[in-house]
Amino acid sequence: MSWARICRLLGLAALAVFLTSAFTPLPNLLSRWLTIPRRLEPAEAIVVLGTRLSPDWELSAASLYRARYGIALYRRGLAPLLVLTGPARGEGPAEATVRAKFARELGIPAEVILTEAGGRTTREEAVRVGALLRPRGVRKILLVTNSLAMARARGVFERAGFEVLAAPPDDLSKTSGEPGLRLGLMQQILEELIARLYYRVAGYL
Amino acid sequence: MEGPFILLLVGLTSVGAYWVGTKRVGLSGRGLRRAVERVLECVGMMLVFLVGNLAAGMITILAVRVVTRKFVSLYLIDDEVLVILSLLQGLAFQCWRDASAP
Repeated sequence: MSWARICRLLGLAALAVFLTSAFTPLPNLLSRWLTIPRRLEPAEAIVVLGTRLSPDWELSAASLYRARYGIALYRRGLAPLLVLTGPARGEGPAEATVRAKFARELGIPAEVILTEAGGRTTREEAVRVGALLRPRGVRKILLVTNSLAMARARGVFERAGFEVLAAPPDDLSKTSGEPGLRLGLMQQILEELIARLYYRVAGYL
Repeated sequence: MEGPFILLLVGLTSVGAYWVGTKRVGLSGRGLRRAVERVLECVGMMLVFLVGNLAAGMITILAVRVVTRKFVSLYLIDDEVLVILSLLQGLAFQCWRDASAP
């Protein structure tokens, strides 16, 4: 087969993926297949995983969304501890610290908030949160992270010795039908699949 | 609603371009098939460059982590600009092939 023909077939495949991603509910169906449903039950701690701060060291929309959901779970009385994670970006404060300040401002008692700012990947967060919570006798946690990453996060937290209840704040499968948003969702799905492959190859899952 | 509207819009302008091309500019209808094939080749070449860039980026980041023992995030390569640059690489490579053809 000639190189030009191979390129044409690749191009055709790329175009087909692009069009079905942008103009059909394929990304929504795939995300439904990849996500784990919410299981909101009483636990011993709520663990809100980090995402990233904005360049001006404020909480990004995703970080705020997760933190707010974790706070809402605490307010519902589902766990007595709220663990907020997230490392620093550059010379600025850690995401966990900024989130803790936000939680205190919303009236969450400082003594129930724990922060973990050393983990830079989901696996590192699992290991470090394990070291933080095991001495306190915590085994059952409500894990807050985005719905696509939940299966991978749950895997590494279970490896760290926790019983994990999935508490994703979002339902990405319900992303609206706008072509741009669907393409964005497809990008997230592909990134998550690569991340899962990497975690499997590295032996983290 | 946005999806069908965008498809309709692009469909209408494509029909318009076909009409202008054949009736006003004097392009041959048969040449369109070859043009579509060339576009697919460019898209395919862009895909090759994109996968190559992503793979090279991941390998480089993982190697830097191992060699320097410092953390470098894989999200460094999570940027739409990489797709656009890969597209330009693919186009440039295809144009180079065309220019070098006997």
